Amino acid sequence: MRIQRFVAIATAAVAAAAMSLTVVAPSQAATNFCKVTDLKTAGGMDALVAAAKKEGKLNVITLPRDWANYGEAMDLFSKAFGIKITNDNPDGSSAYELQTIATAPASKQPDVVDIGVSALNSTLGAGRPQIFSPYKVATWNHIPASWKDETGHWYGDYSGVIAIAYDDSVSPAPKKISDLSKPAYKGMVALGGDPTAAQEAFMSVYAAAIAKGGSVKNIQPGLDFFKSLKADGNFTSVLANGANYVSGAYKISLSWNFNAPGAIASAKAAGKTLHYVIPSDVALQGTPYIQAINKKAPHCAAARLWEEFLYSENIGKTSKQITAADKKLSGSKLFAKIMGGQNIFVSGGATPINVKAMTKAKSIVKAPAGLDIPKTAKVVQPSPDDQATGKTLVIAQWPNL
Amino acid sequence: MAKPLNNAASKGAASRGALVGSFLATSLRGMVSLSPLLVLVFIFLIWPIISVTVMAFQDNDGAFTLGNFATATQGVYAQAFINSINIGLLSALIAAIPGAIFAYIIESKGPEWLKRIIGSITGVLAQSGGVPLAFMFIAAFGAEGSATLVLKALGLDIYQTFNFTLFSFQGLLLVYCFFQLPIMIIVFSPAVQALRHEWREAATSLGASKFQFWRFVGIPLLFPSFMASFLLLFASAFSAYATARAMTVGTIALVPLVIGTLVDGNVINDQYNLGKALAVGMIVVSALAMIPYLLIQRRVSRWQK
Repeated sequence: MRIQRFVAIATAAVAAAAMSLTVVAPSQAATNFCKVTDLKTAGGMDALVAAAKKEGKLNVITLPRDWANYGEAMDLFSKAFGIKITNDNPDGSSAYELQTIATAPASKQPDVVDIGVSALNSTLGAGRPQIFSPYKVATWNHIPASWKDETGHWYGDYSGVIAIAYDDSVSPAPKKISDLSKPAYKGMVALGGDPTAAQEAFMSVYAAAIAKGGSVKNIQPGLDFFKSLKADGNFTSVLANGANYVSGAYKISLSWNFNAPGAIASAKAAGKTLHYVIPSDVALQGTPYIQAINKKAPHCAAARLWEEFLYSENIGKTSKQITAADKKLSGSKLFAKIMGGQNIFVSGGATPINVKAMTKAKSIVKAPAGLDIPKTAKVVQPSPDDQATGKTLVIAQWPNL
Repeated sequence: MAKPLNNAASKGAASRGALVGSFLATSLRGMVSLSPLLVLVFIFLIWPIISVTVMAFQDNDGAFTLGNFATATQGVYAQAFINSINIGLLSALIAAIPGAIFAYIIESKGPEWLKRIIGSITGVLAQSGGVPLAFMFIAAFGAEGSATLVLKALGLDIYQTFNFTLFSFQGLLLVYCFFQLPIMIIVFSPAVQALRHEWREAATSLGASKFQFWRFVGIPLLFPSFMASFLLLFASAFSAYATARAMTVGTIALVPLVIGTLVDGNVINDQYNLGKALAVGMIVVSALAMIPYLLIQRRVSRWQK
């Protein structure tokens, strides 16, 4: 009896409270942001921004500041919304991201990840437990169907094209991949990693394969090309990175175009002039990197706001342009005022995943100069299946190059 | 560590009666005082070995398999073991003998100030490794390195004349010796210090020649320490990671690099446990390397008593 009465009273109280809250703040009281699957269930942009601001923090992982302009993306997000971003192990790998999700304590869990496709395949294989939370951003329909999970667990964010980076002193300037075998380039050509470990280097071997008569299904000519470059002494196995470049250990490397702005600026600071050019024989379009929200995300609203931000196609203010007055605007107005993540990727030289829709709507900013894809270049993109086949050949042959 | 415990034990025995009880008490006390160390050893040595070994026998879904070991002993992976053992042995061989001789000369002939300077220098150099070490060599002996350019100006183009390149097995060997030699000097010096003057005097007064002293006294006494140092050098080169990584971009298969590729790469992401199997292989190689050392040590301890 007493219990029943208590239940009745409690129910009434909850109902009353809910009603009064409905009047005051419709979404905040009821919304569990960890279960929110799109902007609508979040209660709109104002509600999402308010909840994210309240959390005040966002954990990201393995985002180098120079990589695809992530530095600007983080600065802008942080400044506009007053959310402190913690970036764990900026130079870490996709494997590190997945291992952190598997093992890190709750508070150190990343909210969002940016991983390579190969990592995705191994994570989401049949029978594996789901580690991501589904969420569909406002521009969901602009993401090509082949690069998103239809249930919203993961989605491609940007991709790069393999470019030739070369020092000003290199003469003649390389124009295409097949140029790299020129005798003038003895001891000059390097890669930014081990193709069995770094996607950029792996894709560079693909680019060489296509330039040398191979295809996305046939990486062998690429391996043969590097083998001959090594035999001729053109290819040096020094790791292509900023310090080694400045020391003169190599002068030409193959690199994602979206590393160009950062690398050019660092080179300039060290007194060097670095150029980037997309090879005229092949424009190897990498597979997009994959964005997803961690199921164990400690900041569920901030994580979702970050995704909305990364997929926003706005042309707006950068981190340097934003003012104190802007920050006082309501969530949705502020969001509409700042540069969207897709355009931030463009300014970094990357190809945003929504590029088609953005080009059509003319809502795309100008890419950095000099990184246009030459008309003669064959644009190719190895699918994850192609890569799985190519990988086994590279693993078997690269160590005996 | 052994000495104080023995003392404690003999004191316990002296305190009449309850010999066994007090022995238990002291060993228990010993265990208690050792326990922080034991806990550390368990957490950072025993537990990782157990968990790596267990995972090496699992497939991606946690089921038992021998497949990882089957793969780990074939093709590129077998090649990686051969290369790693080669670079470990060769760099240890190249560094051990000159290092031992240096250590002897410095310790027995060198003035005090020289000993101190060499002590600090070797201390620093032995710790240099990884990417900074690779970079030092690239900046000095790379195609446009400062040393390369100076030699070129002096008329010696090492790249043309010797067909030299830093980014090869030989280049790696050269770089490894840069930290191997100082390590050898550091770990071997105490052994040289322990070689007492009196022994030499005794040998000489009994009519031993210099050669005979070394043949019958000096070398047999130093040999176990030499072997121990040699094995330490082997292990340090066998397991070196970052230096090789910065200099080869995978063009030479080395076990630590291959493990790195498997467990922390962006291209292969479904073979963590193959990496674990390779790690078990490294543990086995290191354990096998300890066997000759233990045999020598046992023989030596017989007459050291």
